[in-house]
Amino acid sequence: MKIKTLEEILKKKSSKTEFAILTNLENGDSEIYLPGTSPKGEFSKYADEIENFFKSKKNGVIENSEIFVETYIKPIKVIIVGAVHIAQYLVDFAKNLNFEISIIDPRGYFASEQRFPEIKVINKWPKEAFEEIETNSSTALIALTHDPKIDDPALQYALKNKFYYIGALGSKKTHENRCQRLAEAGFNNDEINSIHGPIGIKLGGKSAPEIALSIIAQLVSQTYKK
Amino acid sequence: MKNSFDEKILDEAQDWINANQKVVLATVIQTWGSSPRQVGSRMIVNEKGDFSGSVSGGCVESAVVSECLSLIKDNKPCKKIEFKVSNESAWEVGLACGGEIAVYIEQIH
Repeated sequence: MKIKTLEEILKKKSSKTEFAILTNLENGDSEIYLPGTSPKGEFSKYADEIENFFKSKKNGVIENSEIFVETYIKPIKVIIVGAVHIAQYLVDFAKNLNFEISIIDPRGYFASEQRFPEIKVINKWPKEAFEEIETNSSTALIALTHDPKIDDPALQYALKNKFYYIGALGSKKTHENRCQRLAEAGFNNDEINSIHGPIGIKLGGKSAPEIALSIIAQLVSQTYKK
Repeated sequence: MKNSFDEKILDEAQDWINANQKVVLATVIQTWGSSPRQVGSRMIVNEKGDFSGSVSGGCVESAVVSECLSLIKDNKPCKKIEFKVSNESAWEVGLACGGEIAVYIEQIH
């Protein structure tokens, strides 16, 4: 691989672009491929096979050839509501797992850049904040404020937009009250039950990093169930 | 949904290159049977034999390191290596899990 190709790969990764690396295993030539374009030079006759690898999001050697295809897909977007202590640990875990994190918190003293370097922190109420974030059914929401004023509008938005994972921090009692408010707002039982509350798998820990670990474990397991 | 887990080995390769080290990239390109790491798993090796990342669960890394060092010494661009449990070197480096893997090593130049 050429140093120039490596630099290009890192640039594509940091700009969250989807791409594939094509390598000729015989001569070592490698090339970056963007989905929907025509592969260049020696790779051009494998256009259909490369596109198929991309569609199935798989890596591998094209049958009866010496061409290796490695696909890179966009990181999963995770929106955290509440720039709280647990969120700081979630950011650490998410970095190693390559989730793309955005944090929403209307409270300026929480949502400071100093507390969350290199993370997109939106210092607005959820309703306005969601106007700035592109979301779809591959987006996850983690609500951590346990303040209905802040969490509820975000949970409602996530339910309406069919996020694949929705979790909300709070005790059983807090969650019961939350479910009741959502029912009053017109959400049905299936929708309400799809919220993971109290959030996280049962680990037994109570500290901020332990709770963050239990949340991230649940998020990863739900990612593979989809 | 497939996750987009990324072990940032290529990012580290860039750091090593910026520190004027010679870097060989090793990638799992094929697996058969039960193998510990999936296709696309990566490892980097420099001219001193330092390495980062993995291509197996510790079974064949030492053999990959020496192959990478030979690649640098002989100044060859790339090589494909297969590890099988039936390999005569099985006692030394074979996959304890009984799987087979093909690893592609290439110099970043």
